[in-house]
Amino acid sequence: MTAATPTLPDTTPESRTSRFALNEGTLRGVILAAFLVLIVVFFSSRSDAFFTSDNALNILVNASVIGIVSLGQALTIISGGFDLSVSGTVPLGAVVYALLLNDGYGVFGALAGVLVAGAICGFVNGLIVAKANINPLIATLATMSVTGGLALTIADGVQIPFDDPEQGVLAEQSLFGVNNHVWILLGLSLVVFVALRYTVFGRYLYTVGGNREAARLAGIRVDAVTTWVYVFSAAFASLAGAVLASQLLTGSGTAGTDSGLQSVAAVILGGASLAGGVGGVPGTLIGVLILGTLANGMAIMSVPAFYQTIATGVVLLLAVGISQIRRISRRGR
Amino acid sequence: MTAPVLAVEALGKSYGRHRVLDDVTFRLAAGETTALLGENGAGKSTLAKVLAGAVPPDSGRVLVDGNPVQLSSPRVALEHGIAFIPQELVYVPKLTVAENVCLGRWPRRAGFTSGAALRRQAAAEAERLGFDLPLDHAMDTLTLAQQQMVEILKALARRSRVILLDEPTAALSSHDSERLLNVMTGLAADGVGVLYISHRLDEVFRACRTVHVLRNGHLVRSSAVADTTPRGVIEDMLGRSADEAVAPTRDRAWARPVLSVRGYERAGLPPLRDVSFDVGEGEILGLYGVRGAGAEVIAETLGGLHPEVTGETTVDGSPVRTLRRPLAARRAGIAYVPADRKSQGLALTLPVQQSLSMLVLRSLSRFGVVARRRERTVAGKLAADVHLRARGLGQLVGELSGGNQQKVLVGSRIAMRPKVLVLQEPTRGVDVGARLEIHRLLRRLADDGTATLLVTSDIEEAVNLSDRLLVIRDGAVVSEFPRPDFRSQSDVLHAAGGLD
Repeated sequence: MTAATPTLPDTTPESRTSRFALNEGTLRGVILAAFLVLIVVFFSSRSDAFFTSDNALNILVNASVIGIVSLGQALTIISGGFDLSVSGTVPLGAVVYALLLNDGYGVFGALAGVLVAGAICGFVNGLIVAKANINPLIATLATMSVTGGLALTIADGVQIPFDDPEQGVLAEQSLFGVNNHVWILLGLSLVVFVALRYTVFGRYLYTVGGNREAARLAGIRVDAVTTWVYVFSAAFASLAGAVLASQLLTGSGTAGTDSGLQSVAAVILGGASLAGGVGGVPGTLIGVLILGTLANGMAIMSVPAFYQTIATGVVLLLAVGISQIRRISRRGR
Repeated sequence: MTAPVLAVEALGKSYGRHRVLDDVTFRLAAGETTALLGENGAGKSTLAKVLAGAVPPDSGRVLVDGNPVQLSSPRVALEHGIAFIPQELVYVPKLTVAENVCLGRWPRRAGFTSGAALRRQAAAEAERLGFDLPLDHAMDTLTLAQQQMVEILKALARRSRVILLDEPTAALSSHDSERLLNVMTGLAADGVGVLYISHRLDEVFRACRTVHVLRNGHLVRSSAVADTTPRGVIEDMLGRSADEAVAPTRDRAWARPVLSVRGYERAGLPPLRDVSFDVGEGEILGLYGVRGAGAEVIAETLGGLHPEVTGETTVDGSPVRTLRRPLAARRAGIAYVPADRKSQGLALTLPVQQSLSMLVLRSLSRFGVVARRRERTVAGKLAADVHLRARGLGQLVGELSGGNQQKVLVGSRIAMRPKVLVLQEPTRGVDVGARLEIHRLLRRLADDGTATLLVTSDIEEAVNLSDRLLVIRDGAVVSEFPRPDFRSQSDVLHAAGGLD
């Protein structure tokens, strides 16, 4: 029988060293950041136009729509779910935003309308996934069709240009010459970061994603948490749609339809697991930036767009492959 | 004399420094039914796995028909005619019975298979053995008893000459158990060797000819059933005389009941029949039963997992209106520690601190924001209370040993300062040291007034830890032991196995 010496977790010498040791999540973050730096160095060596502050802003500007969507996507993936329907919610948000602006509701009124529309879509998603227990992949694939079709229907199949081109304020530059939507992305990132790390809701999210049944047995209202996740995801997506419309000065039912796969790619690239329970905002942002930097760098080097999609796929495989190899080698020990 | 169909010579197996099988030798003749008995952890499952080719032995050899064989994989074992039917059946749920019976041996021609030929083949096998099965039904529409028949048929269709059954009747009703035992007897009459692992002594003494008892990896008895008695077998399993006095008697004054259960009834399998009991303040009430006897359903019901169970529950004098879901149980002041820590208890992706605070997060937060410092203090105290060994509060639960994971699970439940603590198999798969620490922890909690319900299928735990022990059999409380100790073990086993 082993002696039962009480051991306080924080008084053992081991625990002191462990504070400096990297845990797996941090290590992944470091690897990803290094990967991003590598890409930046590569493109900088190829083109003088790449490593400039103007181009850095460019990358952010182009990545912010997917960035906002990815923040919501991160929530669903951490909770063990999946939200493909953002591919339909983004254009829906864009169309609704343009219509409301043209009807004279003003930027804030239109934004409120867009958020409500998104939240309703998300609520439906949440009910289907949490209450009807339908696999999130199937459920959101279906609602993607519905919301995407809804966007086209509302727009009557045509693009809806802003009546007043001055109303693209979401995309205009303001503080420090940085575009408003970049500020929106950064602000939302901070909010989600804090929510995930410091709030009860965030904790429940990781618990539900880590083990749904254990969370339920612990008395966590798994259904409610799940539903909220989809509400947030869709609200973020429709907001991203408003941003996209502001950039184009047009609400289009066909823009942003790739955001579902793009955002999933960014979140997974950022170290989240499709099994749930793992992931976070810093990783997601790095994932978004990697995808954005690749697209930007290749555009500067005049690589045709179809090569860019191939490169995106290869990078995703590489990043996920690296973490898989690390996991296998850990198991080997 | 012909060679036995299966012989095991000086078999040994270690996991790390732990010797699970040591110098095990026995023979199984064709047409013989042999029971393999032993406590949890005695080595029965390991022995079965070695014979099934799932685990390689460290030493010793296995002979089939007198010829040494290397059982390097389950496939090789099957080729040598050894079929293993595990407790958790392995089948393809959506395929038909016929397809499952012929699995891996479907009739084929040039890569194509024929449904009609396959069905004919399965029907022929079923008829040969006199099995009546719905061959065209999908496997997952069958009852458990029927599924077991299919597995046996599958094994026999491969012309297996040795069949290993791991606790086949644990989850069956007594009627279905009887049928299965008849099938076993019939197989033996046809010359198949049957090795039968079970906890139910009554079945063993009815259906088997020889009995082997394992204890701590050693074969301590091999004899004909006719030459022994249930009491003798139990003493062999326990390793001491059933009358030997070991444990100090606990003297608990009668306490006011904190948890009262009245008339729990359940129709499904396993059923519950008019189960009523009280757990007093500071009392550890044990519920002992073999798998499938219903004890686990009682724990799960109190955890809010069985809304279909009818009956009354009272906690601390106030009736609990409903235990429809886990949250309701928690609100009633019942903390439930589920049996399977990995699938039901813990999120392995979470750090220790967050796992410990899982149930009390709301009280550690203001306006939805977690007070991290307070959380850390609470978690640190809980970790010390349960004697957790971890690198730190930030270590992921998935990296801890089973024993320490279990401590985290129990810690997360006592964090809510429950009035009633319901534990289901609290030390299953836990090493001896951690087991002792968990037992001491539970005793300490009880001394502080917690009413504890301990549901266990571990006889030693049941008699050591319980202030009072109820035995559950076929969904009903069949006997009560006011102050159990080592001397009660054989009586408890008798009651649970139906040998009264």
